[in-house]
Formats: sequence, structure tokens, C-alpha cells
Amino acid sequence: MSFQLYISRLKCLFRNKEAMFWCYLFPIMLASCFFFAFNNLWKMEYFETLPIAYVSEGEEDKTFTQVLEAATADEGVKMFDITYSDEATAKQMLDEGEIDAYILGNTKPELYVKASGLNETIIKSFLDTYRQMSTTVTAILQKNPNAINEGLLEDVMAHNTYLEAVKNDKKPAELLVYFYSLLAFTCIFAGNWGLDEVVNIQANLSGRGARVSVSPIPKMKLFLCNILAAFTAHMGSLLLLFFYMYYVIKIDFGNNLMYLFAVCMVGSFAGLGLGAFIGVWVKKKAEVKEAILSVVTLGGAFLSGMMMPEIKYMVATKFPVLSYINPVNLLTDAMYSLYYYDNYDRFYINILLLGIIAFSLGILSIVGLRRKSYASI
Amino acid sequence: MVVKVEGLVKRYDKLVALDYLDLQVEEGEIFGLLGPNGSGKTTAINCILSLLKYDKGNIEIFGKTMGPNAYDIKKDIGIIMQNVAVFDELTVYENISYFCSLYVKKKEEVKRLTKEALEFVSLEDYKNFYPKKLSGGLLRRLNIACGIVHKPKLIILDEPTVAVDPQSRNKILEGIKKLNEEGATIIYTSHYMEEVEQICSNIAIIDKGRVIAKGTKDDLKAMISIGEKISMEVFQMEEEPLDALRRLPNIYSVEHRENLLEIKSKKGKNNLVSVLEFMQRMNIHVGKVITELPTLNDVFLEITGKELRD
Repeated sequence: MSFQLYISRLKCLFRNKEAMFWCYLFPIMLASCFFFAFNNLWKMEYFETLPIAYVSEGEEDKTFTQVLEAATADEGVKMFDITYSDEATAKQMLDEGEIDAYILGNTKPELYVKASGLNETIIKSFLDTYRQMSTTVTAILQKNPNAINEGLLEDVMAHNTYLEAVKNDKKPAELLVYFYSLLAFTCIFAGNWGLDEVVNIQANLSGRGARVSVSPIPKMKLFLCNILAAFTAHMGSLLLLFFYMYYVIKIDFGNNLMYLFAVCMVGSFAGLGLGAFIGVWVKKKAEVKEAILSVVTLGGAFLSGMMMPEIKYMVATKFPVLSYINPVNLLTDAMYSLYYYDNYDRFYINILLLGIIAFSLGILSIVGLRRKSYASI
Repeated sequence: MVVKVEGLVKRYDKLVALDYLDLQVEEGEIFGLLGPNGSGKTTAINCILSLLKYDKGNIEIFGKTMGPNAYDIKKDIGIIMQNVAVFDELTVYENISYFCSLYVKKKEEVKRLTKEALEFVSLEDYKNFYPKKLSGGLLRRLNIACGIVHKPKLIILDEPTVAVDPQSRNKILEGIKKLNEEGATIIYTSHYMEEVEQICSNIAIIDKGRVIAKGTKDDLKAMISIGEKISMEVFQMEEEPLDALRRLPNIYSVEHRENLLEIKSKKGKNNLVSVLEFMQRMNIHVGKVITELPTLNDVFLEITGKELRD
């Protein structure tokens, strides 16, 4: 009997086009938007060798070509892939987009670009730096020819770094947090389904609720069947989103896939519990309950910094308790901690608190559902 | 006795919805609960089903006290609500099957009962349709199928024919009679007196949360003073003969509107003959003449001073 009820409920959920759109399609659309909007930014985090051409003309600066050849970016990646050619060929290559710029080599190298962009800016910046340093060294040597023996080049090249980069073996993909936020919000969206499950079994909220209330099946059993169906369907949406992000748009979640999956499961339960709790304990019409759930969810998302990161910091410093009882915050914080920290301490604290909240909301909902008759229908 | 309600009181703040309501429903009868909108019929049904809390009173079904946890009583009750209560996402067949599986454990049994319910409401051709594709009448029939699929001993129908076309209404009423013939006890609430008169063996008329009259339809009609209603088409009627008509023995009331004369007579024989003789004597030409026995509306009107549909 329970299995039949579970299957029927699953059918209801999967055939509800509106719920399917918001839970299955919308997160995928949003993930696609994030991917296309931030893809270029993402690429910027990895330096790619810039294709340029060098046109030798008359008296050229031999040192400059040596510097061009030797220049490397982080991790030993060559800065420039140089093609030596005549000016006409270089111009054609530039027009056809084969190179980002060409340099006319003479005593004062000149830069030619077709458009302004990040790559062009890097090349110009490199050229400007070279000119500046070259002029400085030349000027000093004219006044003090011995300066080269007194460590002039070391002094000119020296630069102090006041920030220390600590490597944590994680790829520099700050944009992951957008996808974590999307996962977190999809989890909390389960609240709508939790609310629906309560509406469907409460006599004062729907005709269907009245009908099942006069049946001999205990309300608790039906509630658990329905919540399990909602959880199954919702986890389906999260798996699909994972699949899409991992295999289609190829978001690299590193070694944290299982942790992410675990937090999504608990988050999904917390979402269902939140919806059910509002459904049971808010004594208003179903439409009002839906509005309250939306306000609570969006409010939670706002306070967790999903819309403005500064808010999360403000809440954590001025109202720390709010951080610990806001399920959206715990969810996002658990996900962010996977990215920011090398160990899992903070992740475990978040997931434990989230689990406690999900469990408490579930128990309180069940307690509320035990009220058998209503004052008015 | 299948249902016994004693001294049921239900208040919504200061409004008394049920005022010491008493009802008794015997096994095998179609019991009609008749009353105008807002008289307390649905509230009474919801209290009987333990959906609503009540302030005072006692409710027994099948000889046992009814309560929210009385699952052994609930398994033998079928409810057809005023509003259609089905899942839009399930087909006709799946809806009936779902509500059946709330009562029946065995899958094969659910299948058999679902098929029987589909046949009972003649929805076999629509079994794969979604509720949104059904007309109002077909939707009502689906609603009924969901309520009776588990073959309950007691079926409660709360205004099942509201906003239903005449064809579907007849089908529903025939179905209710058939369910009763198959052994189910029926409680039927309505504000349509014709329906109640047509199918109910016992009737309680309810107003302001109280039973104001109960019995068979003949018992109820016998309670009032009107014996017959005579409607006549008259083309000329002065005040003087009208007063004389009112003074005739056994005449209860006379009303004259345009060309129509409505005479209500007290119980007794030959009322029509004496009225026609009077008209002949007074030389008043009469057109069409219609005589009717009193309806439940007349009963309600005489007891409360207002129409059932007011």
C-alpha cells in the first residue's frame, strides 16, 4: 500500500509542469547562464601564451628580442609565441586574428594592435615596462658606467611582495562559489515541495486533504510516504544539476563531489522540513503560506550573503546566532568551506547544525500534523 | 443505527453553527439533510467525520464513538465532498486507484475495485484522461468514483450535484439509488428539495444549525396545514370576488399577480371543485388550471417563514 502511495505521489510530482520547471529546468538554465557569463572570467585565471609577430626593421634592439623570447608568466609558461616576419605578413596575420599584436623592432620598439583587450593590454604593459627599465638603466649608466658592477641590474629588477600566496592544492576557481550558491538555493527550493505535501494531507487546506483525513490510513504514514517521494524527486533534480555541471559544462568540483552530494542531501531534507514546518504551523491559507515560505527562503539567502557577500560578514559579526540557525547560511557556508579550507572541520560543523535543524523541523512538523481535528475548515 | 448524533454544538466564535443538533440514520436508508445555504449541513458532516472539532455532543457511527483515530470506523465510510477533490496530475484511473489504495492493501483488489468504480460512474472511455480535460459533470462523477471505490457501508454525499448539468445530475441520482440498493447507507445533503424528495427515504430539515423537522417526505408534508396548491389563469379579477374567495371554507391563502391566481387550500377533499364552482358562480373566466401537492419548500416556508433558496 505504502509503495503504491509513494509511486502515485512521485507521478504527481513529476507531472507537475510548474514544479518541474522550477526544480529541474530553472537551475540548469541558471547554471548555463553562469557558465556563459563567467566563462571568459574563468579563462582569465589561467595564463595562455600570447601569439605575437616581430618585424625586424633597420637597427634593432637585440636585448629586446632576447627579453621577448625569455619572458615567462607564472609556472614557467612562456609569455609570447613569436613569429618573425615582414610587416605586410604581420599585418595580415593581425587582420586575420592569428596574432594579438605585432612589434616593429627598431631602437624604440613600436606596438601595433587591432583592438583593445586583455591580451593587448598585457603586451602593451610588458613593452612599457621594458621601455621604462631600459631608459632607467641607460640613464644611470650614462652618469655612472660602473653602476653595472655595483649591482644596478639586481636593484632595478628587484621588487618586494608584501602578500604571500599560500597554495592549498586547489585550482584557482573563485567562480565555483556561484555554482555552490546555485546548488544551495536548489536545495532550499525543496521547501515548496515540503509545503505541498502538507497541503495535500491537511483537511483544512485542501479537499484532497479532507478526503485522505477521513480514510483509515494514519496521517503520519501518508506524510512520510509523500515526503519520501518529494525527497526522491528533489534529489533527482540535484543529481541532474550535478550531472549537467560536471559532464556538460565541466565544472571541476575537485575531490569534494561526495561531500557536496552529502550536503545536498541534508540541504534537501532541511528544505522539505522548512516547507512542511511552515505548512503545519502557519495558520493561514495555502497561498499565504507559500508567500511566507518565499520570504523566509529569500530572506535566508539574503542574510547568508548570496546576494551581497558583505551581509554574511555583518550577520556573522553582529548577530552570530542568526548565522547558526539560518539553514541557507549553513548550506552555503558548508559548500564554501569545501572551497576555502583544506580541512573539513568547518564543513562538519555546518552539516551537523544543518542536520539538527532539518531533524527539528521534521519533528515539529510531525507534532503539528498530529493535531487531528480542526477548529474550522 | 448507523449514525447517531446527539446534542451536537459547534461555535465559530459568537456564531452558533450547530445548535444541539440531533440526527439518527438507520441502516439501509437514504437520509436527506435538507437546508438552505449556511444552515449547517456541511459543518454537521465535517463534525460527524471528525474533521472539525465541536464544542459539545456525541457522535456514534456503527455503534462506536467516532473520533479522529477511529480507523476501524473510517474504513467503512466513503465521502464525496461538495468541491471536487482529486489530483490534477493523475489520470481518471490513477485517481480512483490512488484513493482506493488508501483503504485496500492488495494490489489486485485495488485494480478490481478501480475497474468496478469506473464502470459504475460510466467513465471507462475517459480512464486515461486528466481531470482538467473533463467536463463539470464528468468531473463530479470522478469525484463520486473516488469516494465509493472501496465499497463503503456508509456513504456521505455533500451537495454532489452543485453546478452539474441535468443529464449528469440524473446519472448521479440513479447511481446513489443503486449504491443504496447494493446495501450502502447514504447521507445526502442538498439544498435542492426536488433531489431530496426524489431519492431520500428519510429527511431532516435543518436551519440555523437545528433540525426543525424530520421524517419521511409524507410525514413532513403532513405536518403543515397546506393540502393543495391551485394555480389558475384568470383574465379579470376584482377585489370583491377575491375577498369572497379568501372567505371560502378550507382556503388557506390567495394571491393574485397579473393573470395568475395562486390558491393554497387546507387539507381536505374537493377543494378544486369548490374553487371552480365559485369562479363559475362569479362569472370569472378561467384559463389553465394546475394543481400541485405541497413541496418540501412549502414545509420549510411554513415552519421558518422563508424559502429554502433564500
